[in-house]
Amino acid sequence: MNPISVGLVVVAAAALVGAAAGALAPARTRPLVTGTATAVVGLGGVLVGVAALGGQTWSLTVAHLLPLAETTLAVDALSGAFLLLIGAVAIAAGVYGIGYTSPGGAHATDEDDAAPGHDGVGAHDDASGPATAAASRTAQAVLPLFAAAMLLVPAAASVSTLLVLWELMALTSLVLVLAEHRLRRSVRDAGLWYAGMTHAGLVAIMLGLVVLAAGAGGESFAAMRAGSAGLSPATASCVFVLIFLGFGSKAGMVPLHVWLPRAHPEAPSHVSALMSAAMVTLGLYGIIRVGFDLLGGGTRWWWLLVLAVGSVSALYGVLQASVAADLKRLLAYSTTENVGLMLMGVGAAGVFAAEGNRVLAGLLLAAAVLHAVNHAAFKALLFFGAGSVLRSTGLRDLDRLGGLASRMPVTTALFAVGALGAAGLPAGNGFVSEWLLLQGLIHSVTGAMAPSVVVAISMPLAVAVVALTAGLGVATFVKAFGVGFLARPRSAAATGATESPLSMRAGMGLAAAACTALALAPSIAGAPLSRLLSVLPSVRDGAPLAGSDVSLRLAGIAGSMSPLLIVVGLLVAGLGAAALVRRVTHGAPRRATPVWGGGSTRLSPRMEYTATSFAEPLIRVFDDVLRPEQDIDVTPFAESEFLIESISYRQRVPDRVEARLYPPLLAAARRWGQWSRGIANGSVHRYLAYGFIGLLVVLVIVGITS
Amino acid sequence: MSDVVFVQMLDLVCGGLLLSGVLMLWRRELAAIVRLLIVQGVLLAALAVLLGVREQSVELYLVAAGVLVLKAVVLPGVLHRVLRDSGDAREAEPLVNVTSSLLAAALLTLVAYAVSRPLVALAPSATTRALPVGLAVVFLGFFVLVTRRHALSQVVGFLLLDNGIAATAFLATSGVPLVVELGGSLDLLLLVLVLQVLAARMRLTFGRTDMDELRELRD
Amino acid sequence: MTAAGVVGVLVQVALVVGGAPLLVGLMRQVRAVLEGRAGAGIGQPWRDLRKLMKKEAIRPEGTSWVFTSGPLVLFASTLVIAAVAPFVSTASPLDGVADLFAVVSLLLLGTVALTLAGLDTGTAFGGMGASREVTIAALAEPTILLAGFALSARVGSSNLADIVAGTLATPAQVLSPATLLAAVAFAVVVIAEAGRLPVDNPATHLELTMIHEAMILEYAGRDLAVVELASAMRLAVLLGLSVNLFVPWGVATSSAPLALLGATAVFALKVGLLGAVLAAFEVFIAKWRLFRVPELLAGSFLFGLLAVSASFFLA
Repeated sequence: MNPISVGLVVVAAAALVGAAAGALAPARTRPLVTGTATAVVGLGGVLVGVAALGGQTWSLTVAHLLPLAETTLAVDALSGAFLLLIGAVAIAAGVYGIGYTSPGGAHATDEDDAAPGHDGVGAHDDASGPATAAASRTAQAVLPLFAAAMLLVPAAASVSTLLVLWELMALTSLVLVLAEHRLRRSVRDAGLWYAGMTHAGLVAIMLGLVVLAAGAGGESFAAMRAGSAGLSPATASCVFVLIFLGFGSKAGMVPLHVWLPRAHPEAPSHVSALMSAAMVTLGLYGIIRVGFDLLGGGTRWWWLLVLAVGSVSALYGVLQASVAADLKRLLAYSTTENVGLMLMGVGAAGVFAAEGNRVLAGLLLAAAVLHAVNHAAFKALLFFGAGSVLRSTGLRDLDRLGGLASRMPVTTALFAVGALGAAGLPAGNGFVSEWLLLQGLIHSVTGAMAPSVVVAISMPLAVAVVALTAGLGVATFVKAFGVGFLARPRSAAATGATESPLSMRAGMGLAAAACTALALAPSIAGAPLSRLLSVLPSVRDGAPLAGSDVSLRLAGIAGSMSPLLIVVGLLVAGLGAAALVRRVTHGAPRRATPVWGGGSTRLSPRMEYTATSFAEPLIRVFDDVLRPEQDIDVTPFAESEFLIESISYRQRVPDRVEARLYPPLLAAARRWGQWSRGIANGSVHRYLAYGFIGLLVVLVIVGITS
Repeated sequence: MSDVVFVQMLDLVCGGLLLSGVLMLWRRELAAIVRLLIVQGVLLAALAVLLGVREQSVELYLVAAGVLVLKAVVLPGVLHRVLRDSGDAREAEPLVNVTSSLLAAALLTLVAYAVSRPLVALAPSATTRALPVGLAVVFLGFFVLVTRRHALSQVVGFLLLDNGIAATAFLATSGVPLVVELGGSLDLLLLVLVLQVLAARMRLTFGRTDMDELRELRD
Repeated sequence: MTAAGVVGVLVQVALVVGGAPLLVGLMRQVRAVLEGRAGAGIGQPWRDLRKLMKKEAIRPEGTSWVFTSGPLVLFASTLVIAAVAPFVSTASPLDGVADLFAVVSLLLLGTVALTLAGLDTGTAFGGMGASREVTIAALAEPTILLAGFALSARVGSSNLADIVAGTLATPAQVLSPATLLAAVAFAVVVIAEAGRLPVDNPATHLELTMIHEAMILEYAGRDLAVVELASAMRLAVLLGLSVNLFVPWGVATSSAPLALLGATAVFALKVGLLGAVLAAFEVFIAKWRLFRVPELLAGSFLFGLLAVSASFFLA
């Protein structure tokens, strides 16, 4: 029995059983049932992924399941990698969701608005009503279906199968995003944006794939792969651009990212984790599958476009994240940044593949996929942490959090692991993939082939972008962790925080274990990545990562690094220093003292630095790009205008891409809609005339052309 | 019946159908238009009888009887009552004046001939060669629907449309099954009754039955 | 992993740990002499450390494990760099780990540890120092990595030992435009990362002008001693890297004891000289406003970009 088919059966069965059980089970056991079902779905996915990356393949064709087309499924190493990624995130999200959707805990509502900019009353503890919004029957029953749809998308092997599964994934995720719509107005707004953009993306994907299928003479991936060589360059480019726009909008690249910072924060946290960590990688999968596999590598300017868009996404995303004060919005923009880095890797790989440099192409593509895996691990962990904080305090606003290190120690420690990974520091898993990406980019100048002018200009800029992104990423996560979790609580809600239930901690622990494993032993990904590359014709023959369990060695170019040794060195040095210091000072304890407050007053939590103030130098430096909006209201005393009673300061950093690009488009659409209202002016005669003229035209055309 | 006689009678009947349709575009008195409908109904029944004689089919005789009763007696009767109640005797100025209507009718007839050439080419015979007439009556019916204001004229246009469809069906397939004809006729009757009610309501609300008044319903 | 190699690593570590406070003392002494003061002597930083070790350490209310572990993480990260970088010998056993980008990230790790400790205190000064420090570190990243790119491009590898060996093998490359531009860019980055004038004044007492000092205001006793030692080591490591990447002569290419001894002496001499030059330079300039620092870093970024382009087009 092929383990892949076993795994897929597990996925489908667990999803259907889970959905049915979730719809029928009483509210008391529903979280456990649906969470377990989602975890089993994820387990099936992991099984399929491991088998596929171990070299197994599988395919299946079923006629008559869909109207007009056959259903074709096929799993190879490329789909296996993404199946493994999504399955693992689904396991953690399922376990975490058991606790998150259980009653108890505070949840953000409109009255005590969680997002910054409102004067909240504070969280209220509610065992019924709003607190169980994320636990609504629909939201819980749909969760296993969403996980299964995401897992089946990489297994699709024909156009119609892919589109049906893609739409299923979009619909289930939309239902989940709207789970808390009764609590907050912004959820409906987010759902609307998400629905609009995901369907616009679907149209682009559909157009691109249909053109490709028509040109290649077949609907299945195998037929398209064989027939794509016969496409004219113009058609192939058109297909690629459409595919790039469609899949890229799902991945969240700028300027099609605007749904991400709205939808991900408003969804329940385990859904946010699934969407941010797993769903956006399907956009990446689509681009790799169509660009490298079906279209056979393509021309260089396609991949330069991908590289350019990826660079812009990375920079813009991290810049917005570094100035965001809403924790989940920060994490959503960080997803845009990481997707940008992945796209940069894919784009650079494509450029080198088009030039024939397979070693670098293989390395960069492997770096991009590894970054997707690492990102899934730490982003899931970070969203789980944010969800823990949200459930415990009802707040997403960093300016009002703080002091959670003593009140929620496990969450703090695990969030620190995730933040370390996201910041790309050594001992974190983001560091490994960013290092690989940099190695691929810097080796472009050496080697047997002299670099072309295009490469000579784009690679240094790419390195600069990666560097600035890494630096700003560090700033972002220092802010998120430092302001959100450390020091003293800045509001009553944060003071009342308690640790999360066991299942939430277990889910976070699973994600943290994955982060640590990927950070310390990245060479376990070496063989799977080689097998993945062997699926793609233009980057075959690359075996990018080799090396022992201890260090990572690059095959074909000089470069090695050992994260394990670095961590061991840090531990040895740190513990050795601690022991030495204790010996020298004879173990004298530290005295607890009040914090220095200038000698007179004691410090109040209002005097602590907030996230907004932390980001202020960055806002000033990048003022031209961010264009913050500030409101200052000075209220003097009634008796004298020179005596100030209070000053109110409000700062907002809008998403400038959205503000500049979308309103004109939406206004044009609205104008077109208003104009077309004139077509239906209420006159019965006109409507009849439309029908009559339409009939005449059709008959004349048919009559003339036959 | 010999072929020559048959063809001559066929052409006569079809020519009469087309002529009555064109005359409906010309006349402005509503009573005259209803009389023309009666003429058309008789002609349609005659067509069915002719085909029945040709095909030696009893069913077609029954269909002809049904058509005669419905289209020459019942429906014009209903329309007469509507006309009596409404009080208008004449059609108001149509959206397209009479001269242009007649020119349009000529054009539409030409289009009908051009469009039905592929159909005729499928099975050329005397009957099918007369097909364009049926199609032309259909187009004339549409035209009346589009350009006449009075609610009654809308009914007339619809009936003209149906007459044209029935004529086309008779000519193309040498008759329609009784069941189909029955079903179609019942639909037609219902529609006319509904339109009668609509006309009455419009008269109550607006004082006249000008369909353009319905524009006020639009937001 | 030979015994001589291990000895080499230990010698290097001892040199950096022991010599870093002496380096700081030397720089302060040079500055004092140039300003017409008597100065406290080169050994003063060691005397300060000994004094601090005897004092009581405090733990402010509301701080957590981040505050107490901050100095240790900073010290550990700098020590690991001191162990792996090719200061004394290019044939060390930790060769495979000595990657330029890994070293840069370790420096960043140290910065982050101290920044989080500053935020953990919950004071406005801690937050202010943290936010400024992180902004400067973020803006300096592109320059460091581009300079690293330029250096690696020359040799075809980002391994530090390979870069040093490559420069030793072809001395004429030191005067190539790519290397010179990279040297200038690297110099600015070293000033920014080490917190020297004009980016940050290490001797200031005005809290609103502090960047590094503001984050460590709450430390006392042994914690402050570890922080001071680690900061001194960080300066020594940065100067050592700039010296050995661009002027590597004197580095031992084998693990012979005599060569190691000679290399130690040469390294100490080079770093001391560079430190003295830096101190002398600092006498003649003042600290810049925080919002002029991005201009400086942008200028160094431009130099880095030119360095990389030069290595592409003039290779």
